Amino acid sequence: MTIVDAGAADGAAVAADSAENSLRLGRVRAAMDAAGLDALLAFAPLWRRENVRYFTDAPVAGTASFTLLTAAVSDGAAPGGVSAFSTRRSDLDAIARRGWTTDVHLISAHSPTALTTRLAEARPGRLGVAHYELLPQVLMNQISRALPKAEIVSATRLMDDVRLVKSEWEIGRMRAVADAVAAGWQAFVDALEPGLPEYAIVAAVEAAIKGLGAEDNFMLIASGGDEVRGMTAPTPRLLERGDMVRTELTPQLNGYWLQICRSATIGKASDAQRRSFDLFNEAVEAGLAAVRPGVTADEVARAQNDVFRARGFGEYCTSQYTRVRGHGHGLHVDETPIIEGNETELPENAVFIIHPNTYTPIAGYHVLGDPVRVTPNGAEILISTERKLFEGAI
Amino acid sequence: MKRGLVQLDPAEIPEREWHDRVGSLQRDLVTSGVDVALIYGDVSRSDDIAYLTNLCVYWNEGILAVPAAGAPVFLTKLSARVHPWMRLVSTVAEIRSGRGFGELAGKFLGEAGAGTVGLIDADLWPASVAGEIRDALPGWQVRPLDGLVRARRQSPSESELTLLRRGAALLDQVAARAAADGLTPAERVSLAERELRGHGFLDVLASVTRTADGVATIQITGQYRYLWLHVSRVADRRRPAWPGELRAAIGAAAAAATPGTTAADLEDTARPVLASLPPGASVSVRWVHLADMATNGEYASYPADLPLAPGSAVVISVEVRFADGRYATAAETVLVGEHGPAWLTGGAR
Repeated sequence: MTIVDAGAADGAAVAADSAENSLRLGRVRAAMDAAGLDALLAFAPLWRRENVRYFTDAPVAGTASFTLLTAAVSDGAAPGGVSAFSTRRSDLDAIARRGWTTDVHLISAHSPTALTTRLAEARPGRLGVAHYELLPQVLMNQISRALPKAEIVSATRLMDDVRLVKSEWEIGRMRAVADAVAAGWQAFVDALEPGLPEYAIVAAVEAAIKGLGAEDNFMLIASGGDEVRGMTAPTPRLLERGDMVRTELTPQLNGYWLQICRSATIGKASDAQRRSFDLFNEAVEAGLAAVRPGVTADEVARAQNDVFRARGFGEYCTSQYTRVRGHGHGLHVDETPIIEGNETELPENAVFIIHPNTYTPIAGYHVLGDPVRVTPNGAEILISTERKLFEGAI
Repeated sequence: MKRGLVQLDPAEIPEREWHDRVGSLQRDLVTSGVDVALIYGDVSRSDDIAYLTNLCVYWNEGILAVPAAGAPVFLTKLSARVHPWMRLVSTVAEIRSGRGFGELAGKFLGEAGAGTVGLIDADLWPASVAGEIRDALPGWQVRPLDGLVRARRQSPSESELTLLRRGAALLDQVAARAAADGLTPAERVSLAERELRGHGFLDVLASVTRTADGVATIQITGQYRYLWLHVSRVADRRRPAWPGELRAAIGAAAAAATPGTTAADLEDTARPVLASLPPGASVSVRWVHLADMATNGEYASYPADLPLAPGSAVVISVEVRFADGRYATAAETVLVGEHGPAWLTGGAR
């Protein structure tokens, strides 16, 4: 959802915004310097807009949008060195009104003249493209033609690394999503009743979080008994008494995503469902206990999986039954994976969800997890929703 | 991500029609000397894949491989754990998961020896994915193909028209309520989400904009099954004269949507109706095939003199942009009939 309605910001907010913008440009320029890049082009297809958002803090909606940052600010360059381009006219106004860059241009995917002209003027010897891997051939061809002598490389990982550690400004934004998370989960539980189709639960959740201004939502769901092996988009399946209904629900507000993972039963929980919850809760607690500045994604995953292994359920931590033990959050919903073998260090102010979601024969696929921030003292949970096995339709 | 209802219902689209769609593409492949067509899709644009199979790429990316003879195969980076659901909601029997498309295509096509692979709508493939495919298929000729499937999607079949009319009726009712006086922007969007998803829409993209004089526009793009629909409605009927004129302008433009008409013709019809716009306001009228609504037409190339084709389903929009950069828009979904337009949305005006 996009609600375009400019509001006046107070002086302190303007100063904080300006400081945040400067901080970001400094971080990116340092990373560009280390990578030997003369310019960085962030590409945003419809489903991966996090990097353009990082540079503009604006809710772009175009099918293809870009920001261009040059390593050195030359005479005549855009303020801050950032220029923005979009295939959708309404994005230009949204970006300019946000004010992080006012150098905005409409482009066509088949003839992005403003972009190629600016690239040709900048003449980078080495251009990094964030989401290079998703750039359509039609755009790649024109960028390459504009820069016949340039080396064009992927800068996707560079931007992932830059965005890994959140600023206090970003943490503030992410805390603000917690209300939408709580409202979404409450709407989920309130909707539960026998005979309701899965997709109607999603409708109730979407209405609740969009009513609070959420822009988007990432959500998977599954209902049923111990035969449930994973989550998908909703089906027409009708809820039945005794079901466990599982979801990961992830509102996006002001650009930032925050996820909650919970399961609820239709009616009173069975003993097996409670035992399943206890196992998964122990795994979440183990993951939380592992968090400290510099912990690796591998260590957080291993702490969770060790609980399953110790209880004889180790095989259910494999890719046959599950994907990850959590993942990073921020301007993208699914940042660095929390999985054994990922040696990415999670410094202070990294944000990620700990969720040991998987299938076990105890009560089928179980979903439980909380998003956390890494602090000097360990994990800070960023949502207020109680971690328990909820019971709906009582 | 897609998070609404995905379902395969033979009462809606018969098995024969799904079979014929693939068969029609396969005949083109034989004529073109192509052994296997590959069709790329991601969560934001996978309508070709859905048209052929009803598969919903609800997250991430996927490639549908359509051999010149034989059944389509879906190649995906999504986990094998979602294969049962994908089979349940699609006509695809064979799904292969892997870490990368090069590896998946190499294994799949490697079984067939060598030949010619066609990349459908090759310009819109991520260049690096196309490169992976080429690298993984030594000995194969990898050839770009045009939008062979997109071209077929531009004229809905009878069963698709039935679905479009059903979805449009829902969208029409919900848009009218969401554009009522007195609602906040968030309330308008919330209402659209609850009602449309509650009635089985797969996707809902709703947004509200407001002009400096406080006039709100609600824009709703919805996907019913795999078919797109769109409306934009100006709310706040008590406001100055121009919102009423904008509503009349979209009515005039849509009524003029006959075969052979261009966007310029529609604009000529709509512009005189907008007599009370403030100084500095500009007007633009455009149309977009429903087949291109996943990207709002921004990845399609529409020459200014492109005429509306009979049997096509399009979104016609009239946009007023004010001097301060803000805008208001009115849009409806229309079927371009041989003998005149048929409103899919907005017919009750």
